[in-house]
Amino acid sequence: MRDMPYRWIEAIQDRRDYIEDQLRLGSPVVGLPYTQGSLLLTVGKGVQKIFEVHDRIALSAIGHPADIERLRMLVTDTASVQAFQSATEDVNLHRLTHYVLAHTFKQAFEAIVGEAYIIKMLLAEIGNDDAATQFTHINYDGNVKVQHESAVIGGTTEIENAMQDYLAAAQTDAKLDLPTALQLALKTWAVGRELSQRFEDADDNTEVTDEQIDEIIKTELEDGEIEVGVLDSTLSGDTKFRLLTQDEIQAARETT
Amino acid sequence: MNHKGDFLSLLKHKDTLQIDGEMRRESNAKELIHDAFQLPSDRKASHGTTLEIPEATTVVAMRYNEGIIIAGDRRATAGTAVVHDRAEKVLPIDTHSVLAISGAPAMAYEIARVLKHSFQYFRRSQLQELSVEGKLRTLSRLIRENLPMAMQGIGAVIPIFALYAPQTDESKNEGKIYFYDALGAHFENVDFATTGSGSVWIRGVLRYLDRWGETRLEEMDQQQATITILRLLDTASEYDAATSGYNAKAEIFPTVKTITRQGIEALTDKYLSECYAEVT
Repeated sequence: MRDMPYRWIEAIQDRRDYIEDQLRLGSPVVGLPYTQGSLLLTVGKGVQKIFEVHDRIALSAIGHPADIERLRMLVTDTASVQAFQSATEDVNLHRLTHYVLAHTFKQAFEAIVGEAYIIKMLLAEIGNDDAATQFTHINYDGNVKVQHESAVIGGTTEIENAMQDYLAAAQTDAKLDLPTALQLALKTWAVGRELSQRFEDADDNTEVTDEQIDEIIKTELEDGEIEVGVLDSTLSGDTKFRLLTQDEIQAARETT
Repeated sequence: MNHKGDFLSLLKHKDTLQIDGEMRRESNAKELIHDAFQLPSDRKASHGTTLEIPEATTVVAMRYNEGIIIAGDRRATAGTAVVHDRAEKVLPIDTHSVLAISGAPAMAYEIARVLKHSFQYFRRSQLQELSVEGKLRTLSRLIRENLPMAMQGIGAVIPIFALYAPQTDESKNEGKIYFYDALGAHFENVDFATTGSGSVWIRGVLRYLDRWGETRLEEMDQQQATITILRLLDTASEYDAATSGYNAKAEIFPTVKTITRQGIEALTDKYLSECYAEVT
């Protein structure tokens, strides 16, 4: 097929359509910095979606559970071995992303006879100062986007753009405290969720009102659960990651 | 993924584990088994070395009313020479467990490091904490894999492993102390454990205090327990040349840590010096 470039490009495009079709309904993930670190938020249905990769690195993804698990283990193994061989401080997200994940994604995507990973990944890292705090967005084709202020993953690029627009409109220069950041992240998640359902009806309107946000949070929480993982620089000990308990999430939502 | 899912297999898969270095180099499996199970006397005949386990140290752990107190002296020796007088022999492994080491420092530190990374790796990969039994098994395995080094008399490690299970009954002291032999068998000791060359001088004292002392070890508060443990180390250093006492001139204190429901706390030099006022 390689000697027929047109067909190769066509095959890649088919594969892109197929993967995006599979990802479209995935529950979005929102990453936001707050005063003490960074948080990742999503709403799931009983399956854990936010994971600890290393002391200062957390991971979340949408896509096929088997692919998520395989790639999560790949990055966790690499980080653990590297920390053991060298030192915990030497494990960094840049290397994990570019050396391990990006090319694995790209290779699987472009090997059109093999299986593709149905996945979009969002990783967060906190450093010792603000400059080192970052979010890394990896697309199923291996494209990497590094962001510092906030990051989202959603079913399609349009959904992600709408979520980023919502965040940009709501964010101020001041660092948010945990409850405020959590509430904003949840609303942003709702924007993405609403749009992923709407796009099924082939409606290109990306306008989401506050009422619709409240409505979708209410319906989705009937059989779903908010999941929040934080990288909290104030935690004692080497490991800065922890999942918030349901009580903590509830308390943060009720804080005004 | 071609490894078995735990950290030790992962390291072996990536060919980075050195603990069992000698065993791996011997490619012949039969020879390897023979080597590992060779009796000390055979070993002496074939290699001209005796099974002599150097444990120049004193570490001691005991249960007190809030959890566990665990302490070690600071001296590292080679033969009759003092190599280092600020060695750390009480090493935190995770939020609620501590390894106190006696034996060859190189192997002991490596075992502590592998252990620490293993527990973390288990949590990160399996999404739950490793069970107490699982932690003990991991340590057993490491000590057993270190056996060839121990047989040559150069790398034996005999630790005390102490932990607190925080998620259990709040009214009870859930601190647990385990000690090991050179083959990796673990034993749970209810109230106290001590190992190292100085331990012979204080094991009897511990038993006496626990049985007939004014306050039983387990009923002591933190200060009483600290004073007791400092006195024990002092006693060991009096009779064992490889155990250091409190060095007032250089302000070097033994390492003393507590493990309670809240986690591990290293007692400060200031607190220890106040306690020492009671010791002498």
